[in-house]
Order: sequence, then structure tokens, then C-alpha cells
Amino acid sequence: MASSSSSGITFKLHPLVIVNISDHYTRLKAQTLHSGESSSSAAPSNGGAAGSAPPAPPRVFGCVIGVQRGRTVEIFNSFELLFDPDTHTLDRAFLEKKQELYKKVFPTFYILGWYSTGSDVEESDMLIHRSLMDINENPIYVLLNPAIIHSQKDLPISIYETELHVIDGNPQLIFVKSSYNIETVEAERISVDHVAHLKPSDGGSAATQLAAHLTGIHSAIKMLNSRVRILHQYLGAMQRGEVPLDNSLLRQVLSLLRRLPAIESEKFQDEFLMEFNDTLLMTYLAMFTNCTGTMNDVVDKFNVAYDRHSRRGGRTAFI
Amino acid sequence: MEATSSSSTMARQRWELENEIVTTDDPIAASSAVNSPDRIYCYDEAANARTQQEKAWTTDPHYFKKVKISALALLKMVVHARSGGTIEVMGLMQGKTDGDTIIVMDAFALPVEGTETRVNAQADAYEYMVEYSTINKQVGRLENVVGWYHSHPGYGCWLSGIDVSTQMLNQQFQEPFLAVVIDPTRTVSAGKVEIGAFRTYPQGYKPPDEPVSEYQTIPLNKIEDFGVHCKQYYALDITYFKSALDSHLLDLLWNKYWVNTLSSSPILASRDYVAGQIFDLADKLEQAENQMASSRYGSYMSSSQRKKEPEESQLTKITRDSSKITAEQVHGLMSQVIKDILFNSNRYHQCMPDSSGPEPMVEA
Repeated sequence: MASSSSSGITFKLHPLVIVNISDHYTRLKAQTLHSGESSSSAAPSNGGAAGSAPPAPPRVFGCVIGVQRGRTVEIFNSFELLFDPDTHTLDRAFLEKKQELYKKVFPTFYILGWYSTGSDVEESDMLIHRSLMDINENPIYVLLNPAIIHSQKDLPISIYETELHVIDGNPQLIFVKSSYNIETVEAERISVDHVAHLKPSDGGSAATQLAAHLTGIHSAIKMLNSRVRILHQYLGAMQRGEVPLDNSLLRQVLSLLRRLPAIESEKFQDEFLMEFNDTLLMTYLAMFTNCTGTMNDVVDKFNVAYDRHSRRGGRTAFI
Repeated sequence: MEATSSSSTMARQRWELENEIVTTDDPIAASSAVNSPDRIYCYDEAANARTQQEKAWTTDPHYFKKVKISALALLKMVVHARSGGTIEVMGLMQGKTDGDTIIVMDAFALPVEGTETRVNAQADAYEYMVEYSTINKQVGRLENVVGWYHSHPGYGCWLSGIDVSTQMLNQQFQEPFLAVVIDPTRTVSAGKVEIGAFRTYPQGYKPPDEPVSEYQTIPLNKIEDFGVHCKQYYALDITYFKSALDSHLLDLLWNKYWVNTLSSSPILASRDYVAGQIFDLADKLEQAENQMASSRYGSYMSSSQRKKEPEESQLTKITRDSSKITAEQVHGLMSQVIKDILFNSNRYHQCMPDSSGPEPMVEA
């Protein structure tokens, strides 16, 4: 049902959306299982939960919001929606209310589409998709696969658009998968990094901060290195004939290599060195301040030490 | 490839231990079908009602000592704070309490501009808050509001006079309540999250004297406000938690955003902030100089031990501030130089045999 998209729209996804969807799913899963075992009032759940046996984790639904500029769609945030399992529709009034609330805080964002969890696109999803078409004429569908498979290398998130295809003589809308990039604001990246793994929580000594900073860069460079090695091996295999030639891939690699060196103009060199010198100047100033502080301490201590000896009309020239 | 992944897992585990990032992991009795790592996400109505009745916090003003913030709440708060630019923004946090720990599960933004002079910003936001909470209960967000957060863009994580009075009011009527302050500008400049969680002491309570925990650079125009009120509240320890699915996703996310890590340039992003800091340092130096010049002659004759304290510590503080800001700049410069070496290596004659460039983000 899903083939590759050809609409030429680039998607940019922010990590906040991913964490949002994951949290929504975890919450509902925890609550339905928790209420399934206790007799207290059950939390409302979206999608069906089975009876006594461990219920299938419910599907969660929600809306994604963001901005579309030209051919770039940037998804910034998301919020949850109510889903009616009987009629397979989203609660419209709820959506409007939620949208109003979010508009107050983020006035520039508008609804770009919707999200759900599951392993693959389902038939009923098309109904939901259609119902959103009056808000946004080309909504997008973000699907997160919540199954934790440890050998997985790729993010289990796919973005689907709809395209009008002629199948058996009838024009039909089908879902087509699109590629996406992850886009972060600097602050977002730092907090994701912080929660994900490596940064120290509190300013330790200058040494630990330096170590943390360099470790981050080091891991990034390791990733770069591994990716490049894969390319290298692949090209070597192609050269030896083990892998069939793929011209488009070769062209891409060529364009990649042509991009080095990144910048080489004179002006860049000058600016770069100027920035370098500015930072060195700052370091110099800081050292100066440090020295002055220490000198001040020395003078004060000296004064205290020799105060007794030169009390009467003594030397006031220590300043 | 295997060697790198195992060394990185070891490194990560070591860091996680050092920084107390806990993947919620408490073993629960066997009958529960809930995945134990995600137990914290269950909303237990009965337990909540019980804690509300007990009100254990009225016995001890220093009762709550720790805060656990979920990954989602942190991300939302930081993004919201950053989106405000130089304007303070504020929002509310939802969660629950667990003994002496306040657990923050989620946060949402409020559509009010939290300028420093408006104490009643919260009154305006009540309608929004009530509507948002009721709506959210329908989608499974059952926790109550457990605190508020706001941002101090560029001037550090502490409570100003207005903040202290707002929080004291909150702690009288809306217990349990927590105040969180985020500084998005410093976060970007320093490369680590600047966040602080505070609770105020009730009026007239004299805390057993504890040293000010972590020194912060406070700009000159705010330092009075800080000094007057800094004894009226205390800071809580912050740890973070995330669900199993969150960890899994974040791991995989690293495969994508290492590019952003490498390509970020902190010098560029925080230029204005650094310039402001240097200005501030210059002002402080001048002030210190004036103080020293005026009291130098007097102090020579009298027993000047008392007078020495403020002067010296002021200069020491200035020194520490200047070192901090310089260290951050140097880090930024290091990133730039590394990037230059990596990608402009044709200029260096001793280039590595497999030097190469960035891979385009193609979903193959």
C-alpha cells in the first residue's frame, strides 16, 4: 500500500514530537494495564483493551502541528486526541478546543496532520485521514512503531502522505511513505542530549566540562567515521565487482566528495583567524583578571603581615 | 563496529551512573502486568488521595528534597523557554509526589507574558489552566498541577522577589507546589541545561544556615534582587527519568542527530549573550575598583579584616565569572577548529588517508 513519495516535499521532524508520542503511548499503556488489574475506576483508554488477558496496547492518536514554508514542512509539536473506536473517527469538538488552546501559546503553528502508533498503516486510517482533509488539504500521517526491537538501527517512525493513484480504473487515495530529516533547535538538542546520555548534570570542575564537551564531539565524529567506512567498503566492493554497479549512488558519492574542502576562500580564512584571535584575546583578559586578583591577594596579605612593623607613619606605598 | 558500540555503551553507562539518570526501573510484585520500567507512569488515584489527606509537608518546611523530571517535561520546558527569546515565559507542570520527591510528568505553556512586574499573571492564566487540565484528563493525563516554571533568559536560575512572593502564596494554598526556573540562553551558551528547582520557606522561618550551594554569575542589575531573597528559599536536587520506549527512541535518535551535534557552533549562537556578559564584567570590575580605592586608605590604619572580606571575594567572584565565560568561548572555538580540520583538510599537508566530508541525510 505504501510506496515511495514523489511529491518533493521535505519533512523536518523535531525530537519533541517523538518524545511526545512516546510519552502518550507509555502513559496509556501503563494506565490500561494498571486499571485492568485493579478494580478501581479505570482510566479512559483510546482504542480497545481486551478483557482479562494482558490487553493489546492501545493505539494512541493525536495531532501534529507546525509550519509549512514552501516545500518544507517542519513539525514542531503535537498533542493528543480522543478517538472513538466504534465509529473510527476522531472527536472533532475536542480537536477544535485543543487547537484553540495551543493557538494561544504557539500562534504561528497550525495543524499539519495527525499521528498514531502501530506497526503498519491500516485501512481505518484512511477514514481519519480524510476527515482531517478539511483542515489541511494535504495532511500528513506520522506513524510510530512502539515495539522495542533492540537490533533496530533506524527510528521506527514513518511519515506518510496521500497521493491520488489510479488503481483498476478508479482514482484512489493511497498512503505513500516519505523521507524526513530530524531538525533541532540548539536548546532542544542540548536537552535531548542531556536526557539521552552523556552530559553531566551540574557544572563540575572545568576539567569535567571540557571532557564532556569533547566527548560529545568525539562521539559525533565516531559516527561520521563509521558512516564513511561503510561507504568506503561499499565502493571497494563495487570496484572488485562483488556488488553490481549503481550509477546513481556513484554520482551521489562523487557530489559528496566534490563538496570538500567545505570553504576555501581568503575571506573565510581571515574571518576564521579573527574569531580565533578574539577568543585568544578573551583568554588573555581572563588570565589578566586572574593575575590581578591574585596580586591583590598577595598585597593584602603582605599588608597584614607587615602591618605591625610599620604602624607609625609607615610606608603607604604598597598600593 | 562492535568495538565502538560496546565502548560507547560502557561510556554511556558510566555517565548514567555518575549523573543519576534513572531509567525507571523498580521491580514490582509479580502479579502486575505492567512493565516495571514504566510503573511511574501509572496514575494511582487512591494513593494520590491519601497523600493529599496526610499533608506530610506541613510538618517540615524542608520536607521535599528531590525532584524527578520526565524527559518530556524537560524538553517541553526548554523548548518553550527558548522560543520566548529574551522574554520571560511561564507555564505549569503536572505530576505527583512520592514521599519526599516531587515527580514532574508533564509541562504545558501558559499564554501569558511573565514579565517581572506582573504578580497576577497567574490569575489571567487560571481559565486556560482549568480548561487545559479538564481536556487533558480525557486523554489520559490524570495528574494534577504540581508546580510552575518560568524562564530567566540570560540571568541565571534563581527566584526573584516577585517569584518568591508568588511561590510563597502558592505554597500556602496549592500544596504541594514547586517552582522551576530555566535559563535558555545560558543553556545554549554553556552546552548544558541550566535549570533549578526551588521551594520557599514559610514566612519567618529561619533555615539552619547552609552555604549557598552553587555559585552563579548574576548580572549587576539583578544582583541586589538576588541577594535580598536568596535566603528565603532552598534548591532541590533534580534527577531525570524516561520510559523504556523513550530510551529506545532516543538511542536511535542519536543515529540521526549526531550531525547536529557536530555542526552546532556555540560561538555563533551565543554572541550577544557573551558580549552582554563581558559588559557586565567590566561594570563589576569598575565597581570593585571604586570600592577598593575608597576603602584602601581607611583599611590600612584600622583593623581591616572585616573590610577585606567583601573586596576580596568580589574580585574572586569576578575572576571566576571571567574564567567561566572564557571557558565556554574556548569550547566553542575548539568545535570550530575541529570542524575546520575535518572539512577543510586540503590545506593541511599531513592529511589523513581517509579524510572525508559530511554524508547527506539520505533515507536509503
